[in-house]
Amino acid sequence: MRANLIDKYKDEVTSFSESKNEPDWYKQVRLDSLAKADELSLPKYEKINYRSWRLDRPGVINADSEIKNDNKPQADNYIYQAGNQTLSSSLDEELSDKGVILTDIFSAMNDYPELMKKYFMTKVTKAEDNKLTALNAAFLNSGIFLYVPRGVHINKSIQAMFVQDNSVDCDFVHHVLIVAEADSEVTYLENLVSTGSGYKNKANIVVEVIAADDSRVHFSALDQLSKDTTTYLSRRGCTGNNTRLDWAIGFMNDGDVIGDFGTDLLGEGSHTEAKVVAITTGDQVQGIDTKVTNYGQHTIGHILQHGVILQKSTLTFNGVGHIVKGARGSDAQQESRVLMLSRKARGDANPILLIDENDVTAGHAASVGRVNEDQMYYLMSRGIDEKTAQRLVIRGFLSSVISEIPEKDVRASLTQMIERKLINGQQ
Amino acid sequence: MSTLEIKDLHVSVTDDEKGEGQEILKGVNLSMSTGEVHAIMGPNGTGKSTLSQAIMGNSAYKVTQGDVLLDGKSILDLPVDERARLGLFLAMQYPAEIPGVTNVEFMRAAINARRDEDKQIPVMEFIKKLEAKQKILDMTDEMSERYLNEGFSGGEKKRNEILQLLMIEPKFAILDEIDSGLDIDALKVVSRGVNSMRGDNFGSLIITHYQRLLNYIVPDQVHVMMDGRIVKSGGPDLAKKLEDEGYAGLRDDLHLDVKLTDEI
Repeated sequence: MRANLIDKYKDEVTSFSESKNEPDWYKQVRLDSLAKADELSLPKYEKINYRSWRLDRPGVINADSEIKNDNKPQADNYIYQAGNQTLSSSLDEELSDKGVILTDIFSAMNDYPELMKKYFMTKVTKAEDNKLTALNAAFLNSGIFLYVPRGVHINKSIQAMFVQDNSVDCDFVHHVLIVAEADSEVTYLENLVSTGSGYKNKANIVVEVIAADDSRVHFSALDQLSKDTTTYLSRRGCTGNNTRLDWAIGFMNDGDVIGDFGTDLLGEGSHTEAKVVAITTGDQVQGIDTKVTNYGQHTIGHILQHGVILQKSTLTFNGVGHIVKGARGSDAQQESRVLMLSRKARGDANPILLIDENDVTAGHAASVGRVNEDQMYYLMSRGIDEKTAQRLVIRGFLSSVISEIPEKDVRASLTQMIERKLINGQQ
Repeated sequence: MSTLEIKDLHVSVTDDEKGEGQEILKGVNLSMSTGEVHAIMGPNGTGKSTLSQAIMGNSAYKVTQGDVLLDGKSILDLPVDERARLGLFLAMQYPAEIPGVTNVEFMRAAINARRDEDKQIPVMEFIKKLEAKQKILDMTDEMSERYLNEGFSGGEKKRNEILQLLMIEPKFAILDEIDSGLDIDALKVVSRGVNSMRGDNFGSLIITHYQRLLNYIVPDQVHVMMDGRIVKSGGPDLAKKLEDEGYAGLRDDLHLDVKLTDEI
């Protein structure tokens, strides 16, 4: 029998915690989570089988990345992390005066222990949810904390760049905690990229968004982890009364990735729009499970997932809309569509509606199909070659998320990312 | 000078319900040169749109016999995009809508598809040209910034087809019922656009039911199609005569045994 995780890794986790000068309370969270991990099982997702990826086997967590802070733009309201280190971080003075916090997760544990104890893995995702969330808490080696106090509206977007490094043998165990207090507003955008080669690494990423009463949170993400990175990526949020929490996720990774997304609509009258676009190429497998649960009355949860599958890759979309008993007047809608560009590809779009209340509206649409022939003919009749025409049609198909991205240059980079991945996939 | 020749063209479409081919064109002959405008008229269901789709290379239309030659070379084995780059253009009756791709972006891609990788159209040159062409068609920048045909009215789609024609400047443009659904003002604008292309390097094949369009775009030759064949050719007067006597009148004059689709 394999040794328990707690026996095997207790010393390593303890010394890592000490090397980061963590407060005792978090060291204890790590050890408790490590002990729980032994009891917990992997999260299960309909029609997504990733057991063989061994995401539950921890690797090295403490290795120094060689990445230097070279020519990355030092934009305002920007935090840049590579591997285990934070290379730069800046926040408008005006915002910090108002009490906005944008900092790395280790500093947050020391500098804002009360906020961290209140919100870190207590409201949205908990260490005891499953084996992977427990491992995230236990082996955490990077991440950020963004806090927007009551009544503060941030007009500009807050951007984060996270670089996962495959030039060293090191897992990327990352945690993003975003708290938007009552009546606040924030637009947040994260870039998740890989760099370097030589090692195959695992990534375990948990993002939590707590959006309190009357707040508005817009979350965008551009994910492009490399083929050498096998990933569990959870992005979940919860809402207060009359909250709006929207997600726009560009899932453009090259490796095997499980995406676990969604919102718990706790507060009355809260609303979430969860939009995900994905492209798979090569022989990669990406599985995305987006789940919105309506707990509060008169809540609205909409899921839109569009994906394109090329070569021998696999893409699975699960859309789960769950209305609990008592969530009267709620609405759960979803649309999952997959375009198959190759006969060797595998695609699935599974709508799952769980409705435990009568006075609600709900609907779903799901399809797995091919590129629209009329659109192809039209574009080609203007002299555009087949591959370019295909890319244009696909871009249109993915535009639901592209148009949601708040910054023009980031929108352009998502378009480029899509272009790059499609060109690779068309070869 | 370029030439477009259609020789004894037979075309079938597959009936989705029955799964068997049905012959629509039964031997069409037509030849034209740049500098000329030809009109094809004919009653509904006679194969006019089939002719335009077959020339362009829509894979739903199977050529079973005959040939289409551009400058003396057969184009039947070429895919749609190659035919377009050789100089053919089809203004469609029902253009596809493509969300997420702006008109401007699409037209630049279409123009650049005709140019070498290192000789792509400079942005300023493109914008100047676009502004000039929009002006001819009473169009605004707003329309060009919109997603390709998405949410366009019928009239806007037609206008947009002609804008593409003006931007791409093909050798031969086939206009498939470009007048359908247009009010008289829009018809004049569209005609002004097509007329601005007229010259030694441009030829056009205009498909229409109605003579009205031909008041604004005066053709050099008019061909009448019935039951998959051209049954009569002549000058602009032929169109006027049809307007007066109807297709049934011409059929009877020619002693043709053809049943018109809309005939009771």
